[in-house]
Amino acid sequence: MGVAGGGSERGLMDAPALNAPGIVGQPALRWSSRTDSLAGIEAELARIWRSAPLTTEGVDGMPERRIAARTSVLNLVVIARQPELGERAAAVIRMLAGRHPSRTLIVSSADPDGPSWLDAHIQAHCILPRENAPETCAEFINLIAGGETGQHVAAIVAPLLVHDLPVTLWWPGDPPLISRQALDLLEMADRLVVDGSSWSGDGVDRLRALAALVDDRDLAGGTLAVSDFALLRQSRWREAIASCFDRPDLLPFLRGITSVAVTYAAHRGAGAGGTNIIKPLYHVAWLASRLEMTVVRPLVADSAEEHDGVAGLGPALIGSLRAGRRQVDARLQPVASELPSGTTLTVEITAHRHHQALGIIVSAEAESVIVRSSLDSQTLPERRFMAPRRADVDLLAETIESVGRDPIAVAALRTAARLVGGQ
Amino acid sequence: MARKATATADTAPRTIRELRMEHDGRRKRTAKHDTNVLRDGLRLDRVPDPHVMVLFGATGDLSHRKVFPALAQLWRSNLLPQDWMLVAVGRRPYEDETFRGEIGKSLEQFSRVPLDTEVAAQFLSRIVYHQGDFVDYGTFDRLAIRLDAIDAEHGTRGHRLFYLATQASAFPLIVAQLGRTGLDHEMSGGGWRRIIIEKPFGRDLDSAKRLNREVGRVFREAQVYRIDHYLGKETVRNLMVFRFGNGIFEPLWNRRYVDHVQITMAESIGVEERGSFYEETGATRDVVQNHLLQLLSLVAMEPPTTFEADALRDEKVKVLRAIPALSPAEISRDVVRGQYGPGWVAAEAVKGYRAEHEVDPDSETETFLAARLQIDDWRWSGVPFYLRAGKRLPKRATEIAIQFKGVPHRLFQDAAVDPEPNLLAIRIQPDEGILLRFGSKVPGLGLDIRTVTMDFTYGSAFAVDSPDAYETLLLDAMLGDASLFTRADEVEAAWSIATPIVESWVNDPEPKLPNYAAGTWGPEAADDLIERDGRRWRRI
Repeated sequence: MGVAGGGSERGLMDAPALNAPGIVGQPALRWSSRTDSLAGIEAELARIWRSAPLTTEGVDGMPERRIAARTSVLNLVVIARQPELGERAAAVIRMLAGRHPSRTLIVSSADPDGPSWLDAHIQAHCILPRENAPETCAEFINLIAGGETGQHVAAIVAPLLVHDLPVTLWWPGDPPLISRQALDLLEMADRLVVDGSSWSGDGVDRLRALAALVDDRDLAGGTLAVSDFALLRQSRWREAIASCFDRPDLLPFLRGITSVAVTYAAHRGAGAGGTNIIKPLYHVAWLASRLEMTVVRPLVADSAEEHDGVAGLGPALIGSLRAGRRQVDARLQPVASELPSGTTLTVEITAHRHHQALGIIVSAEAESVIVRSSLDSQTLPERRFMAPRRADVDLLAETIESVGRDPIAVAALRTAARLVGGQ
Repeated sequence: MARKATATADTAPRTIRELRMEHDGRRKRTAKHDTNVLRDGLRLDRVPDPHVMVLFGATGDLSHRKVFPALAQLWRSNLLPQDWMLVAVGRRPYEDETFRGEIGKSLEQFSRVPLDTEVAAQFLSRIVYHQGDFVDYGTFDRLAIRLDAIDAEHGTRGHRLFYLATQASAFPLIVAQLGRTGLDHEMSGGGWRRIIIEKPFGRDLDSAKRLNREVGRVFREAQVYRIDHYLGKETVRNLMVFRFGNGIFEPLWNRRYVDHVQITMAESIGVEERGSFYEETGATRDVVQNHLLQLLSLVAMEPPTTFEADALRDEKVKVLRAIPALSPAEISRDVVRGQYGPGWVAAEAVKGYRAEHEVDPDSETETFLAARLQIDDWRWSGVPFYLRAGKRLPKRATEIAIQFKGVPHRLFQDAAVDPEPNLLAIRIQPDEGILLRFGSKVPGLGLDIRTVTMDFTYGSAFAVDSPDAYETLLLDAMLGDASLFTRADEVEAAWSIATPIVESWVNDPEPKLPNYAAGTWGPEAADDLIERDGRRWRRI
């Protein structure tokens, strides 16, 4: 079980904070130790729960509160290619300690050309859900693997999973989705969590690879669930767009959409392929998949525009879809903006029915999504939806709460891949 | 409850020819044209339409403690539309700003999650105060004009949610005034009108029918949302998930396997400052007619065909109607009333009910009720349901216990004691959870059997705050989902059970009251009630 360089335990850290009384809703560190082998990790995990009752100190120094139970609802594995990414992920997960107690493994690699080594930090974080309630605790293992060990992450993770619990694999940054390493890890996973909007370049290669995974029969029996923060973040936009068609007199226009155009922020000098287009792409893909449109012509650079030369924003992309006999034009248009590159600025939808034209412009202002629409020349009442930026912690929580795979997300992902030339 | 969008719309072709064409690849499946398919799968809670909420009784205790904090939480969670306004109606004179100041203080005191200053300020800016007496026609005439002005200024589009958080005696008057001014009229181009009514919904069957009639003269039943906040509690809602989302319990949920059911709602507190209210109410009207019978109907109902408001409420009403009204003789045999005397609760000496503030020293009001009810239907015939509710009991606990029958044959002859029958206890509060009791062999060479429990507490699996019942219910009313609200026929069915009991006591000589000491589990007669059937109350 041990890996090269493993063996000696460094023992229990004896920090006074470990015994501090818990504050309701605030995760507290109740156990912390380090080791340098897999066997050491397993021994430490056993020690944590054998040492129960873990207690906190009362005002008079007497033990005050017994920790209730180790609780796990899932295995959460985070693959952080650098230790800094691991730190950031750890901070997010600690905030979820009470909400979704899990066995968390954060695995980072370092020094790939050096000798093999392993450094594991094992912690128990506990949370007091309310006064007079017992604390709820979950385990947290932060692993850094050096040298060749770091190339075999799946072998490190497998023995540390709690059996019979689902495995969620969170892969922040740029996951190498078609590598052997990724496939080995994905074979253990029930759900893969990524953030497509953080991928480097335009992100479309990774998107195509991601779409291929959901149909891979070797992964979770062909039902691997995929959660992309980029898609989850758009839920309020989707709510806003859906609300346009809640009015019975406007609902029929849903079947008369003739164009969808999305503008997104780009920075000067980014050039072709330099701006991540995953978010604007998902807008078109979601709408198209909900309305059962097929991709006729994938997105290509609009030859009629010279953005690249003029502002260095990269070209607009145009493509076409089909809904029944109707053609639907799709357009992704970069616009110079101070906002983070790839941020959606507007979604514009045009629909026709019985010689009437419905125009919808959904845009973001500060922390709101605003819907402006008009029917022929008549302006319809504006609607605003609060849409504060959702932190990773909320997105991860939502991901963990969802069970099985979301057919709407799968359909949007498949359509997005087809829009960028995938199968 | 239908807040989450439902599954993908039915897109199936309808005729055999269409099916064959699809099978042959000649017909492309098209999405159904009369549903907004973009709503499918939206995971976020749906945001209600822009509207104005009109809160009557806005200066009262309920509004300050429950309604405003719940609304503020919904605002904080971005679940209220941005085009939302609240008109607070009350008799006391306030300027908008001073009233907002009062609400701000209440939010600090009663908010479930503390609010950011900025969020609180945004929320308060949505509140305007409208002073007036409910008997005054002018109050409502001015209100109608003001609501139109708010529509024009804030884009609330004629949608109105009226909320009656006043004394029950004011309900008919307010409803009539709303009718007189036409504020109940729903407009053809949108503009829904809904009304939320707080309990009590009458104080007996006749007054409940009268109230329903008076409300029905102005509002259609589909516009009426009667709040019993118990139904909005997370664990009560979970009862339905537990029963109908798990396959292993439902087959056992009937007379063949269940020996009896106990429903307990114990409070350790007394009547506190509500003496005069409680004098007129008593335990039967305060909690049995509504909360306890709601729990009973959720435990005993048949699975509804869909999770929609009327399907759910139809099943609950069926259960209540299957409980026969008790005759005076049955009441004296199967119902026990009690009143607490002085005693000790949680290491504190407490006074008896008759010595409480605003309570008649010779009061005959019951602070405890135990009853044995039967449900005469196919599923439950012969299974007694024992109910008990009371104040100044040893602890606060609400629980439903399903006691299963014992094994049919004693197999372990050598065991010192027979294995106890299995029990499933659903704890509603506090420490929400589910406990299953079963027998297990004691380790060793012999064959002793001991009862052990599998105890699941929500706190350990979901260490997250649940929304307050009022948050759930207010949002549901704004979205037009009446699943968790009580329908008129449901209220009347519950009163049909409770009214004969309270009426029989008028002619029945009182038991010697007080008949239980504070801090005990009620009068001895309550123990006799269940023990004569060879059963015991669960020790909680």
